[in-house]
Amino acid sequence: MTQTIDTTIYAAVSEAIQAEAKRILTAGEVTAVVGYAAARRKGSAQPIVITSAVDAQKLIFTPACVNNLAVYLTKAKKEIPKSGRIGIVVKGCDLKALVGLMGESQLKREQLYLIGVPCAGVLASTIQPDTGLTSDSIAPKCLECDAHLPQGCDFVPTQTPVSPELEKKYAAEIARLEALTPQERWAYWKEQFSKCIKCYACRQVCPFCFCEQCLCDRNKPQMVDTTPRPAGNTAWHIVRAMHLAGRCAGCAECERVCPMDIPLNLLNRKMAKELKELYDYEAGFQVNDKGPLNSYTEKDDQSFIK
Amino acid sequence: MGKTEGCKGLTKKYLPLVLTPKEFKFLFFSKVFVSSVLSVLSVANKGFRMQKYITEQNLNTLLDKLIAEGKRVVAPRMNAGTPLYEPLKNSGEIIIDQLPRRSGKEAFFPLCEDIMSYTKEGQKVELKDIDPSRFPETVLVGVRPCDAAAIPVLDAVFSWDYKDEFFLERRKKTTIVGLACTKADDACFCTAVGLSPSDTKGSDLFLTPLEGGGYACETFSDKGETLINSHAGLFSEPNNAKTVALAEPGTEAFDLQKVKAWLDEHFEDPAWDSIATRCVGCGACAFVCPACHCFDIVDEGTEKSGKRRKNWDACGFWKFTHHASGHNPRDQQPKRYRNRIMHKFKYYDDKFGQTLCTGCGRCIRLCPVGIDIAAIVEEISKK
Amino acid sequence: MHPEKLKHDFEPKIIAFVCTWCTYAGADLAGTSRMQYPANVRVLKFPCTGRIDPVFILKAFQQGADGVLVSGCHPGDCHYIAGNFHARRRFAAFRKLLEFVGVDLERLQFSWVSAAEGGKWVEVVTDLTEKVRNMGPMTEFKELALEEQWSGTIDTPELKEAYNAI
Repeated sequence: MTQTIDTTIYAAVSEAIQAEAKRILTAGEVTAVVGYAAARRKGSAQPIVITSAVDAQKLIFTPACVNNLAVYLTKAKKEIPKSGRIGIVVKGCDLKALVGLMGESQLKREQLYLIGVPCAGVLASTIQPDTGLTSDSIAPKCLECDAHLPQGCDFVPTQTPVSPELEKKYAAEIARLEALTPQERWAYWKEQFSKCIKCYACRQVCPFCFCEQCLCDRNKPQMVDTTPRPAGNTAWHIVRAMHLAGRCAGCAECERVCPMDIPLNLLNRKMAKELKELYDYEAGFQVNDKGPLNSYTEKDDQSFIK
Repeated sequence: MGKTEGCKGLTKKYLPLVLTPKEFKFLFFSKVFVSSVLSVLSVANKGFRMQKYITEQNLNTLLDKLIAEGKRVVAPRMNAGTPLYEPLKNSGEIIIDQLPRRSGKEAFFPLCEDIMSYTKEGQKVELKDIDPSRFPETVLVGVRPCDAAAIPVLDAVFSWDYKDEFFLERRKKTTIVGLACTKADDACFCTAVGLSPSDTKGSDLFLTPLEGGGYACETFSDKGETLINSHAGLFSEPNNAKTVALAEPGTEAFDLQKVKAWLDEHFEDPAWDSIATRCVGCGACAFVCPACHCFDIVDEGTEKSGKRRKNWDACGFWKFTHHASGHNPRDQQPKRYRNRIMHKFKYYDDKFGQTLCTGCGRCIRLCPVGIDIAAIVEEISKK
Repeated sequence: MHPEKLKHDFEPKIIAFVCTWCTYAGADLAGTSRMQYPANVRVLKFPCTGRIDPVFILKAFQQGADGVLVSGCHPGDCHYIAGNFHARRRFAAFRKLLEFVGVDLERLQFSWVSAAEGGKWVEVVTDLTEKVRNMGPMTEFKELALEEQWSGTIDTPELKEAYNAI
């Protein structure tokens, strides 16, 4: 049954974001603000970097504000000025990525001015941007959201998002795949990975893919075949999932941007689930110096080792 | 604007423009002018050659027969939830109501193909070329006008200074069956770049859905005629049924001359920063584009044996212009995005007198950060 | 003299990634002690299990391995103090990932073999070899290596040949 999701607060949230952006830019508290602005298509939005207070009125928040803007603050995005303090509009899921980046010494909290967004959810990928938000059109990540209200921001509009309990699609799909035989799972992923065209959109939007040169772009040695054939595609997606294990904050940008609809976040969620079970680790709002895969205890499980 | 149906769309793009003397001078002496005169003539000469009618059922029978004959029938089908142009196992798989996620260029310019193989045994090295005569005979069916129109555009570059036998041989062996488009969204802009939902450019045989079912068929080449003649029993004489309502993309026509004139003068311009700072540098736009045709060549294998492969590449990638020295002339994303626009609306025009964009809107729908090429071209045309 | 070799229909290729300080020395001890173990195993020496990137395991399967062994120092014995502790977590995670994409974990073995455990090395290698022999060849990655996108496919007799060559 389709449930409508109430996004009426977004208008007031947009106004609050505009006012705050205008204030901090005027007061010189920040040199730039990264946020969302309306684009040409009806109801659509795109990321924008503004540096003057007059542009603050361009900022919006709507169900089409799907991006995780944290990617613009990583060292991979050389175009964004990194001098001075930068304001950024963040949803709860995006904030977890920023927290992860702080934990990995990529960002300093004092260099950021966090404008948090009370968020009831955003649209799924390939949905026409002017579609109303319902349990059908909502991004799958929002179905499992536990961060409608970001914590520890410098500014959060006062509105409270209404978020009904929704069916958790990832949890159900992971359980379904886990119940299959290895051969069936292999067949499932083979079909999915075969669609991959190696456009690397999944890598480019990921806040955690900030390597100066990706392992997969290097050829001495060539660890992963670069051609978009099923073999190279499978290797790439396994490597990608492994490199994000214990770091991924769950913004699901990889899956949203995939032009071939490969359910990449399933891999990330599966790894998150395993690391929670194994090492009781979960991405959250608390900055941790060490993640689960760059720390250890002497008592870690080794039942799989002879 | 936007009301384009049947022949109206065809003629409209050749309507004379109202020109100022300066523009006229510019136009008259440009290659563009010559080529557009030529293309008007060639379209006038071409016209359709043969008109027929086919029922939906007979179309399916035709596809099944072609498959049975051993031809590769490529058409939109669902692959793990994603609509893609792919070889059909039977006619039941075809889906005609959705624009495939990737374009039709793949039939001639594969995502990845072998171009050579090598083996090394001791001191003996053996190189083996790919024999293009083994490329399969293909019928590409249900191609949207925006995809079909891109194919003649690609002919220009693949048969230019070097004749790319991989592309040209596949092209020779493929019959293109176009299909008029009945559904558009606000990312579609074929009408803005001089095409239309019923444009037959690039099609050997063109189908237009009719009210009451079935399709009007028009042929535009020997290949199209051969296809009809070899299965003449499935076609009947044209009935006078009305065409179903075709798609109506809402984007206004671009003044491509004006856009090009601006691009000619503004390689360096602050506008590129505001347009493309948001670009994250993936290859999604280029890979789903019907007209983008950059490729990379890599060797894959071991010391003993391996393959040389040609696969899609994209100017949005950091690695695209990265030199062995470590220097990168396009060191920032706006410079890379500028190349995308320049190539589509200036360089290709300079070289071949054509625009490298058919308005399919795929890059707009699929850009991870909402970059809208139609909005950008519109913005440039207003400068 | 060598004891008479048993003939098998299938000889699996086993790739062993080992640390130089413990397992490599353990394998060496097995050799100098004239213990017998299957010649199916190809040993690759690394400074530490902490240096063994999961992508190596993937690459081994892609290049035709039927089974992979990763072996190093017992916890607490690492020459670099904690390399194997880090490796332990990484491999615990990587196993789960491979399992989720459909790789049969019976083909992937981890072990701690010290420089004094020549006998354990023989046991681990023999067990894995026999287990993989019973399972038959690892076909998934081999088949994948030959798959093309439809658009690049041309039917050639060499395809079959290439498959057998992997």
